[in-house]
Amino acid sequence: MSISQALSEGVQTALIGLSTVFAVLIILMIVISIMKAVFYKKPKEKPATAVNAAEEELTRAIESLPVIDETPQEDEELIAVITAAIAASLNTSTYNLRIKSLRRVDNNQPAWNKAGIRETINSRF
Amino acid sequence: MLESIINFLSNTGFAQMIRQMGEMAAAGNWLQVIGTPLMLVVACILLYLAIVKKFEPLLLLPIAFGMFLTNLPMEFTQRLMHPQFFIDEQYLINGHDLDMQLIASQGGLLDLLYLGVKLGIYPPLIFLGIGYMTDFGPLIANPKSLLLGAAAQFGVFAAFFMALLLGAAGLGFDVKDAASIGIIGGADGPTAIFVTKTLAPALLPAIAIAAYSYMALIPVIQPPIMKLMTTKKMRSTVMEQLRPVSKTEKILFPIIVTLVVGLIVPDAISLIGCLMLGNLAKESGVIERLGKTMQNELMNIVTIFLGITVGATATAEQFLTPQTLGIIGLGLIAFCFSTFGGLVLGDIMYFATGGKVNPLIGSAGVSAVPMAARVSQQVGQKENPSNFLLMHAMGPNVAGVIGSAVAAGVFLAMFK
Repeated sequence: MSISQALSEGVQTALIGLSTVFAVLIILMIVISIMKAVFYKKPKEKPATAVNAAEEELTRAIESLPVIDETPQEDEELIAVITAAIAASLNTSTYNLRIKSLRRVDNNQPAWNKAGIRETINSRF
Repeated sequence: MLESIINFLSNTGFAQMIRQMGEMAAAGNWLQVIGTPLMLVVACILLYLAIVKKFEPLLLLPIAFGMFLTNLPMEFTQRLMHPQFFIDEQYLINGHDLDMQLIASQGGLLDLLYLGVKLGIYPPLIFLGIGYMTDFGPLIANPKSLLLGAAAQFGVFAAFFMALLLGAAGLGFDVKDAASIGIIGGADGPTAIFVTKTLAPALLPAIAIAAYSYMALIPVIQPPIMKLMTTKKMRSTVMEQLRPVSKTEKILFPIIVTLVVGLIVPDAISLIGCLMLGNLAKESGVIERLGKTMQNELMNIVTIFLGITVGATATAEQFLTPQTLGIIGLGLIAFCFSTFGGLVLGDIMYFATGGKVNPLIGSAGVSAVPMAARVSQQVGQKENPSNFLLMHAMGPNVAGVIGSAVAAGVFLAMFK
């Protein structure tokens, strides 16, 4: 191949190649933009009423539990963790919640259930 | 007694080496006279770089050791690897098809493992794991990153062009060789190997070693170019926070990419298809067990096989050639021009958006994930310590992986 041939071949291939790369990625860009228009909704400010309703429900649920304080202990850390977990599952802040009492529920699962859970966990490494 | 000692001695590697040296000296091929010891030294230098300097050790160490193994002087039939079986027309059926029977009956351990490279099995399997580990979220949040990922393929074609010119000037590169050399600029090891094993198998060791070494050197190569191409003010641009991406988008993305790439560049589909399958495995969240295998066991096994066999193709006859020097030089040029291409478009985007895009994320368009993105972050943070560009740079970075696979597909479609 002579130098002039190499020049023309090189320029041609570079142009075709680079424009193909751009074409594919620009098409992807357009598709992603369409996808955004279809599937992405700006996160709205959560209506406060929903949170309040959930909160009331939870409060009722917690209040309806018989309060049995077996071993009264001052485990603030544990309370904080549980409060945070409830807040996360309700999608609200811990400031909107008031935990009145926490009670451990006895684990009265049948042995077969426990074995089943263990097996499932183990099979997933 | 004496006879058996002499017999044993003449079977040792030393005797082999001396015999080979004699043959080469008789043939007047002076570079090859010291070929075997020189290649063992090169292998040791690469081992040093991998172990002490930590240059991509996961690949460079197996490559270097493969090189070491293959260059031990041995009888032809004892050798672990016979690159001739895959390259030399004498051993190929009709001059181009693999003689599987010959490889199965006479091949050594590494010949058999090398079939995974030659048949194009290992690189896609590695992409499966890479896909599982890649988060395309930043790309979906900022689709313009795709342009930067495309612009950073400039080096691929610049190096291709220069390799052709050098070839015409007498270094003996044809278009296929030039395409394989160019793809080094994609900064993507598996992609480079995938293209080279098809187009220019004889150059495979040099190209793989150049690609992986320069990838490790990205933190050295890129920053000077980045500073040259941007002003202080541009570098300290703070970008808007990326929007959150919904799960639906993340799940649809791999499917759409596979569809689009498959329709336009079918030759890239074994790479992109596996990359996207891996990603879908992660984003869908329903096949966690398979995903774990993809990103750990499978990928590690394949990496071992790939590294050791690619290294093993680097015999003295294949590696000690002027072409190798050319490839190492052109590989560096490819990396520089890829960085340059990404930065040019980054600059354009900076001006087009009125200073909302930091041009430094352009250099992350070369696909070495996540090294290139980290370099963007570091250079940006030097100007403005409170600036976090990493997530913005991950967009072009993962787009670069798609871009270089597409570039590879283009080359394969044109020259296969």
